[in-house]
Amino acid sequence: MKINIVKNVLKANDLVAQANRKTFKEKGVLAANFISSPGSGKTTLLEKTLTALGEQQHKATVIVGDLQTTRDAQRLEPFAYQVVQINTGTSCHLYANQVAESLPKLDLEAVEYVFIENVGNMVCPGEFDLGENIKVILLSLPEGDDKVAKYPTIFRAADVVLLTKTDLEPVMSFDKKQVYDDISRLNANIEIIEVSAKTGEGLSCWVEWLKKRRKEGIGAQVKFITE
Amino acid sequence: MHELSIASALMEQIISEAEKHELSHIDEVEIHAGILRQVIPEVMQEAFREVSVKTVAEGALLIIVEIEAQARCRKCQTVFEPTLDSFLCPHCQIADVDILKGDEIILAAIMSNSVNL
Repeated sequence: MKINIVKNVLKANDLVAQANRKTFKEKGVLAANFISSPGSGKTTLLEKTLTALGEQQHKATVIVGDLQTTRDAQRLEPFAYQVVQINTGTSCHLYANQVAESLPKLDLEAVEYVFIENVGNMVCPGEFDLGENIKVILLSLPEGDDKVAKYPTIFRAADVVLLTKTDLEPVMSFDKKQVYDDISRLNANIEIIEVSAKTGEGLSCWVEWLKKRRKEGIGAQVKFITE
Repeated sequence: MHELSIASALMEQIISEAEKHELSHIDEVEIHAGILRQVIPEVMQEAFREVSVKTVAEGALLIIVEIEAQARCRKCQTVFEPTLDSFLCPHCQIADVDILKGDEIILAAIMSNSVNL
Protein backbone atom coordinates (compact mmCIF):
# COMPACT_ATOMS: atom_id res chain seq x y z
CA MET A 1 0.00 0.00 0.00
CA LYS A 2 1.40 3.36 -1.06
CA ILE A 3 0.25 6.45 0.81
CA ASN A 4 0.91 9.84 -0.77
CA ILE A 5 1.59 12.48 1.84
CA VAL A 6 3.36 15.61 0.51
CA LYS A 7 4.32 17.36 3.72
CA ASN A 8 7.21 19.71 4.38
CA VAL A 9 9.64 17.67 6.48
CA LEU A 10 10.54 20.70 8.60
CA LYS A 11 6.90 21.72 9.10
CA ALA A 12 6.95 21.13 12.85
CA ASN A 13 9.88 23.53 13.23
CA ASP A 14 8.40 26.03 10.77
CA LEU A 15 5.07 26.18 12.63
CA VAL A 16 6.83 27.02 15.90
CA ALA A 17 8.95 29.57 14.04
CA GLN A 18 5.80 31.23 12.69
CA ALA A 19 4.41 31.44 16.23
CA ASN A 20 7.69 33.00 17.44
CA ARG A 21 7.55 35.54 14.61
CA LYS A 22 3.98 36.44 15.58
CA THR A 23 5.08 36.97 19.18
CA PHE A 24 7.96 39.22 18.10
CA LYS A 25 5.57 41.24 15.95
CA GLU A 26 3.00 41.62 18.73
CA LYS A 27 5.71 42.82 21.11
CA GLY A 28 7.17 45.17 18.51
CA VAL A 29 10.66 43.71 18.68
CA LEU A 30 13.06 43.05 15.83
CA ALA A 31 14.49 39.54 16.14
CA ALA A 32 17.83 38.96 14.45
CA ASN A 33 19.43 35.55 13.94
CA PHE A 34 23.24 35.82 13.95
CA ILE A 35 24.90 33.04 11.95
CA SER A 36 28.55 32.42 11.17
CA SER A 37 31.47 30.03 11.56
CA PRO A 38 32.88 29.61 15.06
CA GLY A 39 35.32 32.40 15.78
CA SER A 40 34.10 34.98 13.31
CA GLY A 41 33.30 37.39 16.13
CA LYS A 42 29.58 37.04 16.84
CA THR A 43 29.84 37.56 20.59
CA THR A 44 32.29 40.45 20.33
CA LEU A 45 30.12 42.09 17.70
CA LEU A 46 27.10 41.71 19.98
CA GLU A 47 28.97 43.29 22.90
CA LYS A 48 29.83 46.27 20.71
CA THR A 49 26.39 46.43 19.12
CA LEU A 50 24.66 46.45 22.51
CA THR A 51 27.00 49.21 23.65
CA ALA A 52 26.57 51.20 20.44
CA LEU A 53 22.80 51.10 20.78
CA GLY A 54 23.65 53.68 23.43
CA GLU A 55 20.71 54.75 25.54
CA GLN A 56 18.85 51.76 24.25
CA GLN A 57 21.45 49.27 25.40
CA HIS A 58 19.13 48.09 28.12
CA LYS A 59 16.52 47.44 25.49
CA ALA A 60 18.03 44.41 23.80
CA THR A 61 17.82 40.83 24.91
CA VAL A 62 20.12 38.05 23.78
CA ILE A 63 19.40 34.36 23.30
CA VAL A 64 22.68 32.56 22.84
CA GLY A 65 23.14 29.03 21.55
CA ASP A 66 26.25 26.93 22.11
CA LEU A 67 26.96 23.23 22.33
CA GLN A 68 28.44 23.70 25.80
CA THR A 69 29.35 26.36 28.39
CA THR A 70 27.68 29.58 29.51
CA ARG A 71 30.71 31.68 28.60
CA ASP A 72 28.99 33.74 25.92
CA ALA A 73 26.05 34.46 28.21
CA GLN A 74 28.44 35.60 30.93
CA ARG A 75 30.22 37.87 28.47
CA LEU A 76 26.98 39.42 27.21
CA GLU A 77 25.25 39.81 30.56
CA PRO A 78 26.71 43.26 31.38
CA PHE A 79 25.57 44.64 28.03
CA ALA A 80 22.08 43.20 27.53
CA TYR A 81 18.73 43.66 29.26
CA GLN A 82 18.42 39.89 29.64
CA VAL A 83 20.46 36.92 28.45
CA VAL A 84 19.34 33.33 27.99
CA GLN A 85 21.90 30.62 27.27
CA ILE A 86 20.76 27.52 25.42
CA ASN A 87 23.10 24.54 25.45
CA THR A 88 22.34 22.42 22.43
CA GLY A 89 24.47 19.43 23.47
CA THR A 90 25.35 17.73 20.22
CA SER A 91 23.03 19.74 17.97
CA CYS A 92 24.89 22.09 15.66
CA HIS A 93 22.07 24.65 15.43
CA LEU A 94 19.14 26.10 17.35
CA TYR A 95 15.59 24.86 16.81
CA ALA A 96 12.54 27.14 16.80
CA ASN A 97 11.15 25.37 19.88
CA GLN A 98 14.30 26.19 21.88
CA VAL A 99 13.67 29.85 21.14
CA ALA A 100 9.95 29.40 21.93
CA GLU A 101 10.82 27.86 25.31
CA SER A 102 13.04 30.86 26.09
CA LEU A 103 10.42 33.49 25.30
CA PRO A 104 8.29 33.14 28.48
CA LYS A 105 11.44 33.84 30.54
CA LEU A 106 11.95 37.15 28.72
CA ASP A 107 10.31 40.50 29.28
CA LEU A 108 9.74 41.33 25.62
CA GLU A 109 7.59 44.36 26.49
CA ALA A 110 10.72 46.06 27.78
CA VAL A 111 12.97 45.52 24.78
CA GLU A 112 13.20 46.59 21.17
CA TYR A 113 15.53 43.90 19.90
CA VAL A 114 16.06 40.19 20.41
CA PHE A 115 19.46 39.06 19.21
CA ILE A 116 19.75 35.31 18.72
CA GLU A 117 23.33 34.11 18.55
CA ASN A 118 23.14 30.77 16.77
CA VAL A 119 25.63 27.93 17.18
CA GLY A 120 28.77 28.59 15.12
CA ASN A 121 28.06 26.74 11.87
CA MET A 122 27.56 27.81 8.27
CA VAL A 123 25.26 24.98 7.15
CA CYS A 124 22.61 23.70 9.57
CA PRO A 125 21.37 27.02 11.04
CA GLY A 126 20.24 27.93 7.53
CA GLU A 127 17.77 25.03 7.51
CA PHE A 128 15.95 25.95 10.70
CA ASP A 129 13.79 29.04 10.78
CA LEU A 130 13.67 30.39 14.33
CA GLY A 131 11.00 32.98 13.64
CA GLU A 132 13.54 35.78 13.29
CA ASN A 133 12.83 38.87 11.22
CA ILE A 134 16.33 39.12 9.80
CA LYS A 135 19.31 36.87 9.26
CA VAL A 136 22.69 38.44 9.94
CA ILE A 137 25.59 36.47 8.49
CA LEU A 138 29.12 37.28 9.66
CA LEU A 139 32.19 36.61 7.55
CA SER A 140 35.52 37.49 9.12
CA LEU A 141 38.51 38.31 6.96
CA PRO A 142 40.70 35.49 8.37
CA GLU A 143 38.17 32.93 7.11
CA GLY A 144 39.07 33.76 3.51
CA ASP A 145 37.36 35.34 0.52
CA ASP A 146 36.10 32.02 -0.87
CA LYS A 147 33.45 31.40 1.79
CA VAL A 148 30.49 32.89 -0.06
CA ALA A 149 31.25 30.60 -2.99
CA LYS A 150 31.62 27.62 -0.65
CA TYR A 151 28.49 28.25 1.44
CA PRO A 152 26.12 29.95 -1.02
CA THR A 153 22.92 28.71 0.62
CA ILE A 154 23.44 30.46 3.92
CA PHE A 155 24.63 33.69 2.29
CA ARG A 156 21.65 33.77 -0.08
CA ALA A 157 19.35 33.72 2.92
CA ALA A 158 21.05 36.75 4.50
CA ASP A 159 19.43 40.14 4.95
CA VAL A 160 22.80 41.61 5.83
CA VAL A 161 26.35 40.28 5.61
CA LEU A 162 28.83 41.77 8.05
CA LEU A 163 32.44 41.57 6.94
CA THR A 164 34.13 41.48 10.33
CA LYS A 165 37.68 42.00 11.64
CA THR A 166 38.35 44.53 8.86
CA ASP A 167 41.23 45.93 10.97
CA LEU A 168 43.18 42.87 9.77
CA GLU A 169 42.90 43.90 6.13
CA PRO A 170 46.50 45.22 5.89
CA VAL A 171 47.89 41.82 6.87
CA MET A 172 45.42 39.61 4.99
CA SER A 173 45.26 38.85 1.30
CA PHE A 174 41.47 39.02 1.25
CA ASP A 175 39.82 39.97 -2.03
CA LYS A 176 36.77 41.97 -0.94
CA LYS A 177 35.62 42.44 -4.53
CA GLN A 178 35.34 38.65 -4.84
CA VAL A 179 32.99 38.56 -1.86
CA TYR A 180 30.87 41.48 -3.12
CA ASP A 181 30.63 39.85 -6.58
CA ASP A 182 29.74 36.42 -5.19
CA ILE A 183 27.01 37.90 -2.97
CA SER A 184 25.55 40.01 -5.77
CA ARG A 185 25.11 36.84 -7.85
CA LEU A 186 23.10 35.27 -5.03
CA ASN A 187 20.78 38.08 -3.99
CA ALA A 188 21.01 41.72 -5.03
CA ASN A 189 19.06 42.82 -1.94
CA ILE A 190 21.70 41.77 0.58
CA GLU A 191 23.31 44.66 2.42
CA ILE A 192 27.06 44.30 3.04
CA ILE A 193 28.59 46.26 5.91
CA GLU A 194 32.28 46.22 6.81
CA VAL A 195 32.95 46.36 10.54
CA SER A 196 35.80 46.10 12.99
CA ALA A 197 34.69 45.47 16.56
CA LYS A 198 38.25 46.28 17.61
CA THR A 199 38.58 49.77 16.08
CA GLY A 200 34.86 50.54 15.93
CA GLU A 201 35.02 51.13 12.17
CA GLY A 202 31.64 50.56 10.51
CA LEU A 203 29.80 49.96 13.78
CA SER A 204 27.68 53.10 13.56
CA CYS A 205 26.72 52.19 10.00
CA TRP A 206 25.64 48.72 11.16
CA VAL A 207 23.69 50.03 14.13
CA GLU A 208 21.92 52.64 11.97
CA TRP A 209 20.99 49.88 9.52
CA LEU A 210 19.61 47.83 12.40
CA LYS A 211 17.51 50.73 13.74
CA LYS A 212 16.21 51.51 10.27
CA ARG A 213 15.30 47.87 9.76
CA ARG A 214 13.38 47.78 13.02
CA LYS A 215 11.42 50.87 12.01
CA GLU A 216 10.61 49.39 8.63
CA GLY A 217 9.64 46.08 10.22
CA ILE A 218 10.61 44.17 7.13
CA GLY A 219 10.93 40.40 7.43
CA ALA A 220 13.45 37.94 6.04
CA GLN A 221 13.81 38.16 2.27
CA VAL A 222 14.05 34.49 1.52
CA LYS A 223 10.96 32.52 2.31
CA PHE A 224 11.29 28.76 2.34
CA ILE A 225 8.44 26.79 0.85
CA THR A 226 6.35 25.48 3.75
CA GLU A 227 3.97 23.12 1.99
CA MET B 1 25.84 17.12 8.45
CA HIS B 2 22.47 18.90 8.30
CA GLU B 3 21.15 15.62 6.87
CA LEU B 4 20.93 14.21 10.41
CA SER B 5 18.68 17.08 11.52
CA ILE B 6 16.53 16.61 8.44
CA ALA B 7 16.40 12.83 8.95
CA SER B 8 15.26 13.28 12.58
CA ALA B 9 12.45 15.61 11.52
CA LEU B 10 11.54 13.18 8.73
CA MET B 11 11.43 10.27 11.17
CA GLU B 12 8.97 12.11 13.43
CA GLN B 13 6.65 12.61 10.48
CA ILE B 14 6.95 9.00 9.37
CA ILE B 15 6.06 7.76 12.85
CA SER B 16 3.03 10.04 13.03
CA GLU B 17 1.87 8.96 9.55
CA ALA B 18 2.33 5.30 10.49
CA GLU B 19 0.18 5.80 13.59
CA LYS B 20 -2.44 7.69 11.61
CA HIS B 21 -2.73 4.94 9.01
CA GLU B 22 -2.23 2.13 11.55
CA LEU B 23 0.82 0.68 9.85
CA SER B 24 3.03 -1.69 11.79
CA HIS B 25 5.96 -1.34 9.43
CA ILE B 26 7.07 1.06 6.69
CA ASP B 27 8.94 -0.53 3.80
CA GLU B 28 9.62 2.45 1.60
CA VAL B 29 9.85 6.21 2.09
CA GLU B 30 9.99 8.72 -0.74
CA ILE B 31 11.26 12.24 -0.19
CA HIS B 32 11.65 15.14 -2.58
CA ALA B 33 14.76 17.22 -1.94
CA GLY B 34 15.26 20.51 -3.75
CA ILE B 35 18.82 20.94 -4.94
CA LEU B 36 19.08 24.28 -3.14
CA ARG B 37 18.91 22.39 0.15
CA GLN B 38 22.15 20.63 -0.71
CA VAL B 39 21.12 17.26 0.67
CA ILE B 40 23.84 14.75 -0.16
CA PRO B 41 22.04 11.46 -0.97
CA GLU B 42 24.70 9.15 0.53
CA VAL B 43 24.83 11.15 3.76
CA MET B 44 21.04 11.32 3.90
CA GLN B 45 20.81 7.54 3.47
CA GLU B 46 23.24 7.01 6.33
CA ALA B 47 21.42 9.52 8.56
CA PHE B 48 18.08 7.88 7.80
CA ARG B 49 19.48 4.44 8.63
CA GLU B 50 20.75 5.85 11.90
CA VAL B 51 17.49 7.46 13.03
CA SER B 52 15.23 4.62 11.86
CA VAL B 53 16.78 2.01 14.14
CA LYS B 54 14.11 0.49 16.40
CA THR B 55 11.30 2.40 14.71
CA VAL B 56 8.49 1.37 12.35
CA ALA B 57 10.75 2.34 9.45
CA GLU B 58 13.80 0.28 10.43
CA GLY B 59 15.31 -1.17 7.27
CA ALA B 60 13.00 0.84 4.99
CA LEU B 61 14.21 1.84 1.56
CA LEU B 62 14.66 5.60 1.27
CA ILE B 63 14.05 7.02 -2.20
CA ILE B 64 15.41 10.52 -2.68
CA VAL B 65 14.04 12.41 -5.68
CA GLU B 66 16.09 15.50 -6.46
CA ILE B 67 14.04 18.52 -7.49
CA GLU B 68 15.64 21.01 -9.85
CA ALA B 69 15.57 24.67 -8.90
CA GLN B 70 13.32 27.20 -10.58
CA ALA B 71 13.29 30.94 -9.94
CA ARG B 72 11.26 33.89 -11.21
CA CYS B 73 12.85 37.29 -11.65
CA ARG B 74 10.95 39.90 -9.65
CA LYS B 75 11.76 42.58 -12.22
CA CYS B 76 10.98 40.97 -15.60
CA GLN B 77 9.14 37.80 -14.45
CA THR B 78 11.46 35.56 -16.47
CA VAL B 79 11.39 32.01 -15.12
CA PHE B 80 14.80 30.34 -15.18
CA GLU B 81 16.90 27.63 -13.57
CA PRO B 82 19.35 29.12 -11.09
CA THR B 83 22.50 27.36 -9.92
CA LEU B 84 23.65 27.16 -6.31
CA ASP B 85 26.07 30.03 -6.79
CA SER B 86 24.13 32.21 -9.23
CA PHE B 87 20.58 33.53 -9.17
CA LEU B 88 21.25 36.12 -11.87
CA CYS B 89 18.31 36.56 -14.22
CA PRO B 90 19.54 35.69 -17.72
CA HIS B 91 17.61 38.72 -18.99
CA CYS B 92 18.24 41.46 -16.36
CA GLN B 93 21.56 40.13 -14.99
CA ILE B 94 20.31 40.94 -11.48
CA ALA B 95 19.71 38.41 -8.66
CA ASP B 96 16.30 39.37 -7.28
CA VAL B 97 14.07 36.33 -7.45
CA ASP B 98 11.25 34.33 -5.96
CA ILE B 99 12.11 30.66 -5.68
CA LEU B 100 9.40 28.55 -7.30
CA LYS B 101 11.02 25.15 -6.83
CA GLY B 102 14.16 23.58 -5.44
CA ASP B 103 13.99 24.88 -1.87
CA GLU B 104 11.79 22.14 -0.50
CA ILE B 105 12.26 18.97 1.51
CA ILE B 106 9.07 17.02 1.31
CA LEU B 107 7.91 13.68 2.61
CA ALA B 108 6.13 12.60 -0.57
CA ALA B 109 4.97 9.06 0.18
CA ILE B 110 5.31 6.00 2.36
CA MET B 111 4.85 2.41 1.31
CA SER B 112 3.88 -0.43 3.54
CA ASN B 113 3.28 -4.12 2.91
CA SER B 114 1.76 -4.62 6.33
CA VAL B 115 -1.38 -3.11 7.81
CA ASN B 116 -2.49 -3.33 11.42
CA LEU B 117 -6.21 -3.71 11.76
